[in-house]
Amino acid sequence: MLLKSSFTPLFIAIPTKHKLPNLSLPTVSKSFTQQCPPTVRQNATLNTTSLLLLHKLPPTSAYVHLPFCRKRCHYCDFPIIALGSSSSTLNKNNDDPRISNYVETLCREIKATNLNSSNNPPLKTVFFGGGTPSLVPPRLISSVLDALSSKFGMCGNAEISMEMDPGTFDAVAMKQLMNLGVNRVSLGVQAFQHELLKACGRAHGVHEVYEAVEIVKSCGVENWSVDLISSLPHQTPSMWEESLQLTVRAQPTHVSVYDLQVEQDTKFGVLYSPGEFPLPSENQSAEFYRTASRTLRDAGYDHYEISSYSKSGYRCKHNTTYWKNKPFYAFGLGSASYIGGVRFSRPRRLKEYMDYVQNLENGVVKCTGDGIIDSKDLATDVVMLSLRTADGLDMKYFREAFGDSLMFSICEVYRSHVESGHIICLDEQGRNVSANEFISLLSDEKVGYIRLSDPDGFLLSNELISLAFGAIAP
Amino acid sequence: MAATADFCRIKLALSESSPNRCSHAANFTRPGFFSLNKIEFQFHRRNYLSTGEAGVLRHKRRRGFRVCCQAAGTGVQPKSAPSDRDLELAARAGKDRLLKVPSSRIRNFSIIAHIDHGKSTLADKLLQMTGTVESREMKEQFLDNMDLERERGITIKLQAARMRFMYNNEPYCLNLIDTPGHVDFSYEVSRSLAACEGALLVVDASQGVEAQTLANVYLALENTLEIIPVLNKIDLPGAEPERVCREIEEVVGLDCSDAIYCSAKVGTLSPISFPEGIGINEILSAIVQKIPPPQDTAERPLRALIFDSYYDAYRGVIVYFRLIDGTIKKGDRILFMASGKDYYADEVGVLSPNQLQVDQLYAGEVGYLSASIRSVADARVGDTITHYSRKAEQSLPGYKEATPMVFCGLFPIDADQFHELRDALEKLQLNDAALKFEPETSSAMGFGFRCGFLGLLHMEIVQERLEREYNLSLITTAPSVVYKVNCVNGDTVECSNPSLLPEPGSRRSIEEPFVKIEMLTPKDYIGALMELAQDRRGDFKEIKFITENRASIIYELPLAEMVGDFFDQLKSRSKGYASMEYSVIGYKESDLIKLDIQINGDPVEPLSTIVHKDKAYAIGRALTQKLKELIPRQMFKVPIQACIGSKVIASEALSAIRKDVLAKCYERLILVLLCSDQAEGKKRMKAIGRVDVPQEAFMAVLKLEKEVL
Repeated sequence: MLLKSSFTPLFIAIPTKHKLPNLSLPTVSKSFTQQCPPTVRQNATLNTTSLLLLHKLPPTSAYVHLPFCRKRCHYCDFPIIALGSSSSTLNKNNDDPRISNYVETLCREIKATNLNSSNNPPLKTVFFGGGTPSLVPPRLISSVLDALSSKFGMCGNAEISMEMDPGTFDAVAMKQLMNLGVNRVSLGVQAFQHELLKACGRAHGVHEVYEAVEIVKSCGVENWSVDLISSLPHQTPSMWEESLQLTVRAQPTHVSVYDLQVEQDTKFGVLYSPGEFPLPSENQSAEFYRTASRTLRDAGYDHYEISSYSKSGYRCKHNTTYWKNKPFYAFGLGSASYIGGVRFSRPRRLKEYMDYVQNLENGVVKCTGDGIIDSKDLATDVVMLSLRTADGLDMKYFREAFGDSLMFSICEVYRSHVESGHIICLDEQGRNVSANEFISLLSDEKVGYIRLSDPDGFLLSNELISLAFGAIAP
Repeated sequence: MAATADFCRIKLALSESSPNRCSHAANFTRPGFFSLNKIEFQFHRRNYLSTGEAGVLRHKRRRGFRVCCQAAGTGVQPKSAPSDRDLELAARAGKDRLLKVPSSRIRNFSIIAHIDHGKSTLADKLLQMTGTVESREMKEQFLDNMDLERERGITIKLQAARMRFMYNNEPYCLNLIDTPGHVDFSYEVSRSLAACEGALLVVDASQGVEAQTLANVYLALENTLEIIPVLNKIDLPGAEPERVCREIEEVVGLDCSDAIYCSAKVGTLSPISFPEGIGINEILSAIVQKIPPPQDTAERPLRALIFDSYYDAYRGVIVYFRLIDGTIKKGDRILFMASGKDYYADEVGVLSPNQLQVDQLYAGEVGYLSASIRSVADARVGDTITHYSRKAEQSLPGYKEATPMVFCGLFPIDADQFHELRDALEKLQLNDAALKFEPETSSAMGFGFRCGFLGLLHMEIVQERLEREYNLSLITTAPSVVYKVNCVNGDTVECSNPSLLPEPGSRRSIEEPFVKIEMLTPKDYIGALMELAQDRRGDFKEIKFITENRASIIYELPLAEMVGDFFDQLKSRSKGYASMEYSVIGYKESDLIKLDIQINGDPVEPLSTIVHKDKAYAIGRALTQKLKELIPRQMFKVPIQACIGSKVIASEALSAIRKDVLAKCYERLILVLLCSDQAEGKKRMKAIGRVDVPQEAFMAVLKLEKEVL
């Protein structure tokens, strides 16, 4: 029966559902290379064995880091390369050598990546993150995409996302990128108030935001997202409400709402301490989170992950790879891949990254694992990643993969939180159950899912997830 | 040549005790020996001669300098210095220090001084001037060979040095027994004073008599020692030798008309003007003139007083002793009278200050022996050594077992280090019979030990040696004392751990140890110090002015009040001018209660303390406030309470957290970090009821307890 299901096209989009007693899977996928059906909606049943074997599968997602920015935003601690304001990406005839050299190295890294098996499935998602990937000329993006498809192959309907910042691209570039296959745009708006943008050190103003929205819509990008940041310094509740309203009015298919994390060694880290003026207090910033959740839900968005909202059918497929703890490639400065059970971070400094690529070509370094992974580590990863999504943790498969005792100890630590409403328990039919029922379900082994409530559970996700960690590895 | 002959007579035993030193220890006096070990012997001789010549040359050169500056310094110097020839002879004589001298030419002495009054520097100078230590081997605080001693400028372990000094063309043998100055080691001090006939009382000419000096002088007077007052640091701008002389006369009652003015440090500070220091020769001469020689009782059965012992990894315990009666030689079967253990003496020698083997030691001499003794507990300080076959009738008086006065819990920060901690404590105990420890478990800190110490300095030193020499990271609980609980049923329970205190219903009263403290202070700080003592439940006894500007204040107060930061407070409230000394006077009944801390209604045993009823409120408030800052907020409101029995005396509440979420644009890059961060964060949490208390909170509270208790 399992074998049969693995031939149902419906399941092929998620190769991890295959039981993997033999290597039939890649062959099967291969035959569908050019016609990948759309991914099934979430909660699709995962095969039990896959929870333990997922990471051994060949990845079908790739993250590509394009680190260039005009300048560093005050909150940012990502590995970036600031180009300065003089650089103009619109000058197509004269590429910045820093960009072209980097892209060249990037393509070398892609080519030098060793494949774990000879017949890898083609990529289903590609994500260009940054930095500001929209500063990279489309011509160079094209070379990266070429390198990716000649190395791994690319599904015809692969989701190719790109982060784009207002003021860094025009309609021509947008069209070119679309022609290359970019079909999802993540627009780094962050705020709709000029003073806030300025205070964050963003390289664009509100005007550029409206312009960028207009370009994306006029070019006919169907799937696009707006990124917002809450709890910025001097941000008031009314400013936040305004940003949310204006976002809703722009009608993106996806919204990401990030909560400002004041990182050490950033300008904000030097200037501010969390919870203290001008940053909002903990209570205020919790209120921002609730406002976002309420406003966007009312506008028809599904709060499918702690910081992600989408219209029906527009969840970010690439990020879904992460939440499901599936393996993924990563290329470029400071990026982290997850292959064969190993999370590997590339060097954050350009020079060291160049050396790394050189070593990779010489076969001296390896970024992939051999698939051997501690089951408790795996269980903590699965719990952490699943609980960050609205779908939650599939208890049936968790139990089958990691055993009764782990599942019971997790349920035990969450008992009081089911009562307090931070944790929601669903039965096998996906129906909400009360705290009392939870206990009886537990003994009947009928708990279907547990998930964090929105927004109360999400707001305390670190605490709640830590509790589960404590239960898994005391 | 005399030097060579002498070399042949002695056996070189290196105190470093390298395992391959056996060949050196072979007896050179046997006739056939030269041929057997010819090459090695020649090597030694050449080596020896060359250093000897160099030494003489250096002395000659220095002499020239000294003459010209002596003129400049004559105003300071009250007595004429011996001639150059004498000095040279003295320096050369240092080399023959192993030669036997009749007991009438032996002088055993120690130095009594307050911290920083220059005892170790003076000892250095004496070693140098008598040629005991070559200038090139010289380093500061020569006798303090522990790193810790050097850094803190204190003496922890005893040392002894045999010096040779030519006086009126007669060689004298001077034995300096260096004692730790601190009150924690007053028992060791009393034993080493008992091993001497005289003592130098060194007082800083700019500061005057301090509390510790007094305590040790009284100890010396009890042992009927001849005391030679020495005023040190007379070249400092602030020196007031006349005033300090008067102080010594008034406070100690010593005649200071013959007091020696000296400065041991000048040689080091400005070697050109005073290479030898000021007054060092006068000191050496006074030792010979004034200190009585030991009695010649070599015919009596052996009695030797142990004044120190330490554990050597290769040879077992090394015992330092003073022969009171009889003789001891290598191979003797010896008996330790208090511990009742007997051993064969493998090695007998003198300390000069390195260990040098000799064949035999006679009454009046100071030496060491090793006898493959397994633990210092078998050869404790104060014990008497006698011959197994010819026992002395009576052991020497004054032997006491060390009783720890101050206790604290020691826990490894990393639970995996528990076994290492136990091994380290066992090793330290080999060397330190006063250190006591027993395993203790705490729900907050895991497995550790409750350790007993002689006093606060002893405790600090043990903690620091554990961390430094054994690479352990430790959490220490607030120091506590041993309480005696009188129970309703007539039993008396000794209790050093709050969690082991009998239930309130079954106890009739609690007694705690009291100390008598004497503080010496300039009169400006009398008020501040009295306030401090009063705060610490002190009972005022006496105040007397020792000079018009300095007073001695005597209080009786509970030891528990003193084990915290009393000394720090004393120093800071008197701007560093006051000094203190204490002695335990016994147990007294006090109104003590057990203060419990409850977090979310659950008692947290490791945070319980025994406090005086009057202070419970203040301490309870301080502890709850500190905990409120330290415990991370939980998903629910958490009460933090301080209670006496069931009565809550202080309460704080931790409000619930509203938000703890990572909603950063993390998914692309830092997934790795996210996983490890969240896992790491949970690691060191201790769940108290449903509240997770981080280890840091315990540590901080323990620190706070040290401050407020």
